[in-house]
Amino acid sequence: MGLTERLRRLDEAIAWKGEIPLQNRYTMGLAGERFFREIRDNARLMATHCPNCDYTYLPPRAYCERCFAELTEWVEVPARGTVYAYTVVHQDLDEQPLPRPRLAALIEIEGCDSLFVHCLGEVEPEEVYIGMPVEAVFQEKRQGAITDIAYFRPL
Amino acid sequence: MSERIPSYPGTPLKERDFTEGRVLHTWWVPKADYAWDAGVAIGRFLAGLKEGRILGVTCPQCRRVLVPPRMVCEHCFVPTSHWVELPGTGTVKTFSICTVRWDMERLEVPIIPAVIALDGAEAPTGGGGGFMHLLGEVEPTPEAVRIGMRVEPVWRPAAERTAAITDILYFRPLKEG
Repeated sequence: MGLTERLRRLDEAIAWKGEIPLQNRYTMGLAGERFFREIRDNARLMATHCPNCDYTYLPPRAYCERCFAELTEWVEVPARGTVYAYTVVHQDLDEQPLPRPRLAALIEIEGCDSLFVHCLGEVEPEEVYIGMPVEAVFQEKRQGAITDIAYFRPL
Repeated sequence: MSERIPSYPGTPLKERDFTEGRVLHTWWVPKADYAWDAGVAIGRFLAGLKEGRILGVTCPQCRRVLVPPRMVCEHCFVPTSHWVELPGTGTVKTFSICTVRWDMERLEVPIIPAVIALDGAEAPTGGGGGFMHLLGEVEPTPEAVRIGMRVEPVWRPAAERTAAITDILYFRPLKEG
């Protein structure tokens, strides 16, 4: 036998199939907690501002990524902006084809310096362009999650 | 916590903060299916189990019988050579009485994983040589189970076998004679 041995019977070629049980609970953190509560209760976007760097974070950060200062200055920003970049997505997370392509986008929210990731809706892929003005569409029933914003649509 | 450190910095959360909705969170169950290719040696071994046979393989250099079989002897780094069928009986080398399962679930009836030196696969020079399985039909107490106990396999009914290690249900004490 040794290394030249080959399986010749099909029932000896065995793959052991299993499933690793995994569960994941994600908490939003101090800044995220306030951010999502504002979305849920007031349908508005709250950002944090670093006075040292004059930089506004959305989603808000509890600490400045540039100077490590603790951020305590909260500012409301409008739920609109412009498309900075976008991707037409044809597959889901399991690489299965989607019934309709979805649009993922980086959005420059007015008054913010960081970019905000979300989806685009009420627009066809061929109509999207970089620099397109968009606004957020909030869900009627909100539970404090990023999906409380249904999508961004052309303004 | 200690006398000098009354509390750690941060935001401690208790389970009821989640169940009573005091903290926002998302819950996600990732899909983690996998398929593990058994390879030539283990593939043949598992196919043998389905037929009610325990197959081992010999190392031409150290003369050990490896079970579960491997393509290469991990002591000598030489390819293994001949397949042998073992009678299945053996001797308990070590065991453990477990009251929790692998995923930390509490067990009402303890299980007894054991390393069994199968007859025909004992290590001639000592060191190594053991087959991991469960013991059954024996009280899960340190008094009832003992090292050196002679055991035999209890097979799943042939029609229900799936070419898995669980085709052997467990090993039970051998009734002498």
